[in-house]
Amino acid sequence: MASVKLTNVKKVYDKNVVAVHDFNLEIKDKEFVVFVGPSGCGKSTTLRMIAGLEEISEGTVEIDGEVVNDLQPKDRGIAMVFQNYALYPHMSVYDNIAFSLRLKKVPEDVIYDKVTKAAETLGITEYLMRKPRALSGGQRQRVAIGRAMVRDSKVFLMDEPLSNLDAKLRNQMRAEIILLRQKLDTTFIYVTHDQTEAMTLADRIVIMKDGFIMQVGSPDEVFDMPDNLFVAEFIGAPKMNIVKTGLVCENGKYYVTPFGAKIAVDGDKGEMLAERGVKGGEVLLGVRPEHIDLAKAGEDAIPCTLVVDEMMGSELHLHVDTEDGTRMIVRVPTIDISKEERKALVAGAKLYITFGGKAMHLFDPETEKNLLA
Amino acid sequence: MSNNKHHMGMKTLNRLSNSAIYTLLVIISVVWLIPFVFIVLQSFRVESTYQVGYVVPHQWGFQNYINLWNSDFKRWYLNTFIIALAAAVLQTIIVLCMSYTLSRFRFKLRGPLMRFMLILGMFPGMLTMIILYRVLSDLGLTQANAVPGLILVSVASSGMGYYVSKGFFDTIPKSLDEAARVDGATRLQVLYKIILPLAKPIVIYTILTAFMGPWGDYVFARYVAFGTSAGYNVAVGMYSWLTNDQINNMYTTFCAGGVIVALPVTILFLCLQKYYVEGVTGGAVKG
Ligand SMILES: Nc1ncnc2c1ncn2[C@@H]1O[C@H](COP(=O)(O)OP(=O)(O)OP(=O)(O)O)[C@@H](O)[C@H]1O
Ligand SMILES: [Mg+2]
Repeated sequence: MASVKLTNVKKVYDKNVVAVHDFNLEIKDKEFVVFVGPSGCGKSTTLRMIAGLEEISEGTVEIDGEVVNDLQPKDRGIAMVFQNYALYPHMSVYDNIAFSLRLKKVPEDVIYDKVTKAAETLGITEYLMRKPRALSGGQRQRVAIGRAMVRDSKVFLMDEPLSNLDAKLRNQMRAEIILLRQKLDTTFIYVTHDQTEAMTLADRIVIMKDGFIMQVGSPDEVFDMPDNLFVAEFIGAPKMNIVKTGLVCENGKYYVTPFGAKIAVDGDKGEMLAERGVKGGEVLLGVRPEHIDLAKAGEDAIPCTLVVDEMMGSELHLHVDTEDGTRMIVRVPTIDISKEERKALVAGAKLYITFGGKAMHLFDPETEKNLLA
Repeated sequence: MSNNKHHMGMKTLNRLSNSAIYTLLVIISVVWLIPFVFIVLQSFRVESTYQVGYVVPHQWGFQNYINLWNSDFKRWYLNTFIIALAAAVLQTIIVLCMSYTLSRFRFKLRGPLMRFMLILGMFPGMLTMIILYRVLSDLGLTQANAVPGLILVSVASSGMGYYVSKGFFDTIPKSLDEAARVDGATRLQVLYKIILPLAKPIVIYTILTAFMGPWGDYVFARYVAFGTSAGYNVAVGMYSWLTNDQINNMYTTFCAGGVIVALPVTILFLCLQKYYVEGVTGGAVKG
């Protein structure tokens, strides 16, 4: 049960590779924080610095108010689950889970209670006497989690714990991690490159790129109000459509003009633009695929050609090309489309698409910052 | 049915090739064993002590072993055993620690150190003999005190034999170390609770080679003992029986000595060989 605070943390690997730049973050007690970002952005490095497995080049890491920079991993009150499980292959599942307790010289009967309790929680009781090599991936992952559970640590660190599992098992384990979190009621720091995992698990998401934090916020915040283009494209699947377009201001009302159409910016957003003194000009317009609708010809409709239609079950993903060849993705619920309409949706079909003023995200083309944030 | 027939055909073929392989192996082992059997038989021959033109003794007995017991052999054997045991223990500890360090720690001089040792290892050990003798004799560790001297020689350079075990340690995932350290293990505990159990075959190999080196050493041992029987090891001592004026009295005793020398090594190998075969790294990380 502890807070974690990182202040100006920097990591320089030898040969002057800067993996993490000036990382500042305060994690509250019992919070579930997820670090997410593309490969190589420094998520693992940051986590490993918190764990004490990697030296901190600059800045401080505090756990529970105590600077832990110079403490060994074992003295930091953390538990960690590794991506590749890192089970001790020569020990049985029971001994794997009991390892940390034995090092602490906990009496065997207490160890027995704790291990069997953890095994029950995780549903691995029947495998306790097996060696790790006789377990499936999902079972190994449970053992790895069990090993971390029995330590009663203040902070639970997980580095891509699910990335070695197949999609179905991953979904199942994700749900189990949510349950585990409710049971353990401790601080979690979780690393993943999968935005879905981040969105479903996190209280707060830390989105990273090239060693920099791009945004910190709740799943709602980063989804609804991405600070910048990177976050906008990273969060949400399929990813947000981005087009370069004009922004005009007529009689105090703002309009965007993608591909010759003219669509009004939502009133609140317009006010914000006005407040900030945005006059108009080029902007990057972002619209999520699920916020685009099929429409009839009109001033606010964009003509386009269907290239690919993907049937996903409950929804249909339409990849369309606008007249100048820009590819956009449209997500429509299957239930909104009649049988006749569905038949007409074949490659080459001419369509009109539109979107509402509320769904727009506007970014500065130079700085790629959100104009509305 | 036809499928089944095909299967049976494969089985017969397999059995045939297996028998061929086993026959070959048996022949090879017989060839290997002939000298050993010969020596064992000679060691029980009591009708004469010199070399003869037949193999099976006419009279059997333990006289040769009794002779051994009454000679300096006891002393030599003890010398060799002490040196080999000390080398096995100390050298194994040093080599394993060295390998672990070079495999797991990153420090400034790691690369240069490894290159330096590689180059140093290319010079034959014999080159250092004269200077080593000087050093040992100044320390008073030659002749009758050859035992500590030889232990020192074999242990001093043992760190250079890290290649094999470092190579093996490198194949053990580092996340195991990290998991153990998070679990509360010190570096030393990581070494003996995680790495060594996983590297059992290499540990055994290290112990065996460390033991075997001094056990069969002749050149250095002879040089350091420098003619003083009290400092001989078995190889040097027994060789002194093979001089022209001794050989006819000592030949069968020599054979008995050979048997006694071969015994511990044979037992050691028989006990430890199963670890050579056994691999234990499965299931550590998803493969
Ligand atoms: N030991 C190292 N020496 C030098 N550079 C390193 C080392 N470890 C990582 N890096 C570099 O630091 C950067 C961040 O690595 P890190 O492992 O933290 O990425 P990550 O966000 O966890 O990526 P992934 O999703 O692929 O695991 C990368 O550019 C990587 O090349
Ligand atoms: Mg990583």
